[in-house]
Amino acid sequence: MTLTTILLQQLVNGLVLGSFYALVALGYTMVFGVVKLLNFAHGDLYMVGAFIGLLALSLVAGAVGTSWVGVGLAILLSMLAVGFFGVFIERIAYAPMLKAPRLSILITALAVSLVLQNGVLSLTGGQVMPFSPKLGFAGINLGDIFINYKQIALAGAAAVLMLALELFVSRTQYGRAMRAVSVDKDMSELMGIDVNRIIAVTFFVGTALAAAAGTMAGAYYGSIWYFMGFLIGLKAFTAAVIGGIGSIPGAMLGGLVLGLLESFGTQIPGIGSAWKDVFSFSVLILVLVFKPTGLLGKSEQERM
Amino acid sequence: MKLTMTSALAGLTLALALSTATFAADIKIGVLVPTTGGQASYGQDMANAVQLAMDELNKAGGGNTYSMVVGDDGCDPQQAVNAATKLASSGIAGVVGGYCSGATIPTLKIFGDAKLPFIITAANSTKLIPANPGNAFMINSTGNDQVAKAIDVWKAKGVKSLAIVNEGDAYSQDLATLAQKSFTEGGGTVADFETVNHGEQDFSSVVTKIKAANPDAVFWTAYDDDGGPFIKQLREGGYQGAIYVGDGSTSTNLLKLAGDASEGVFAFSSPTAEFLPDAKAFADAYQAKFNVAPSSYGPLTYDGMKLLADAISKAGGTDSAKVIDALSKEDYKGLAGEISFRPDHTLARSNFIVIEAKGGAWALAQ
Repeated sequence: MTLTTILLQQLVNGLVLGSFYALVALGYTMVFGVVKLLNFAHGDLYMVGAFIGLLALSLVAGAVGTSWVGVGLAILLSMLAVGFFGVFIERIAYAPMLKAPRLSILITALAVSLVLQNGVLSLTGGQVMPFSPKLGFAGINLGDIFINYKQIALAGAAAVLMLALELFVSRTQYGRAMRAVSVDKDMSELMGIDVNRIIAVTFFVGTALAAAAGTMAGAYYGSIWYFMGFLIGLKAFTAAVIGGIGSIPGAMLGGLVLGLLESFGTQIPGIGSAWKDVFSFSVLILVLVFKPTGLLGKSEQERM
Repeated sequence: MKLTMTSALAGLTLALALSTATFAADIKIGVLVPTTGGQASYGQDMANAVQLAMDELNKAGGGNTYSMVVGDDGCDPQQAVNAATKLASSGIAGVVGGYCSGATIPTLKIFGDAKLPFIITAANSTKLIPANPGNAFMINSTGNDQVAKAIDVWKAKGVKSLAIVNEGDAYSQDLATLAQKSFTEGGGTVADFETVNHGEQDFSSVVTKIKAANPDAVFWTAYDDDGGPFIKQLREGGYQGAIYVGDGSTSTNLLKLAGDASEGVFAFSSPTAEFLPDAKAFADAYQAKFNVAPSSYGPLTYDGMKLLADAISKAGGTDSAKVIDALSKEDYKGLAGEISFRPDHTLARSNFIVIEAKGGAWALAQ
């Protein structure tokens, strides 16, 4: 392999990894935009999404098999189920806290994270479970660069979801209301927007995206376990901050940037896989030093 | 119970009095294993193996009648000290066992002061070696031995360049750096040395690097939960060389997680009953007596008890200095292979075996 092909292959790797980060980062950023909450349970909803996806796949396997159609169906079912689960969590855990000091709701989010992790731990016995749909090993060979169909499908599905989200936020009435609530919640309420409903919709969409990412990750990597949401939750949060937390295009960009930083970081001599996290988090610090609002974030002006 | 204690004590007195004679003697052996706590199932398995060995020894005649006293170390250093002290004062002629390295280390001095021969059958941390006052013998191979075995295998298979992947924890990093050092010293090239995060599922960038370096073999030194996905991605990424994994990845779970990609993967494993041709009779007898299959350290512990009995008969009695001397000169053929010791009382020859994944199950590699 020449250096060019290695770098192109790493570009593919980074884009695939970045798609996962972006999908999870979107949920973080949307929830933060609307309720100013850092939902630390978001990574765990990704994990729950993966388990529900596995369950859904086994339910539809009899009818459509566990190939592409089955996985697609499992992703949709998981998005739907976990989306409602996200709304349920918002209603019982976060809604009563919305008027409380910010710190209380942050701690509630940590508690929800622990409940989800330990709940799945006790249900599954802490075992790593195989998630093995029949998607095969096939792919496209471009010279020395190998892209398998799973990677293409994954990046494609992520792009479609992100495009759909963008259209939803910019073109629909709910999207407009969501943007209004994120600018000024109290004023929106005075203008007749049902803020609670908008918050619920935000949680539904954000959680459904995480569930989609979780199910896709399970099908792509082939194994799921109760702690799988922790690391990606942390990374997706980082991606959201790099892109500018609260900004939807920012989360997409941040996810891809982080994915690319990690895959190229592995390739840089002297950094390598052992130091790749140090490398990507150093970039995070640099971004925060020179542009504290993130790459696409808008600076907020506090009026005194 | 009281009756057997008395008779055992009487027997011991007799044994001491007639230790140089070939008369029949009753000999008590301490068994130091965890029988409570998270590792209890392994401890119970080891105690069962000792029991089985004793039954056979007693049935075969040969003069001595063996019985055991179990000390529960709970896999906890403090509890182990108490258990060892109690064992040392209960008139035993030697000790077999030692599962958790951390719990076994502090007992070495206690058994050393009591001058009791101690056959360590499972614990294999290299930290046990300098802590040994001279009475203990390790019959499970250490990390050094695993690497030695690996180097032999690679040499035989013509592996000249190697990629090593670990997860940065004490176990997998030690194994990785040890392998790197030995392989380089042996004239091989470590084409790539990678460290990944535990629980991070995406190995694609590392896979690309390995593929670019194109080594003859890849050695994964960490555990099975990430090893499965790693192997899968390595194969999906188009790597076609050999894949080896360390003894932390020898579970069947690895095969399930890696799916079809696991075919032909080699692993270095401690000798377990299912892969030892000589252990069939042992496994059958074990199953018949205890109604479960022996687990990982059964065969080694069985060997340990038989080895101690062999040394006692060679020493002509239970005089500890003579038994220890006999042990250090031992050349015993057990289920798990030949047992003889280096001057530091570790196994002279590595007992690691090589297994290969075939059709979703592990089989002994040729």
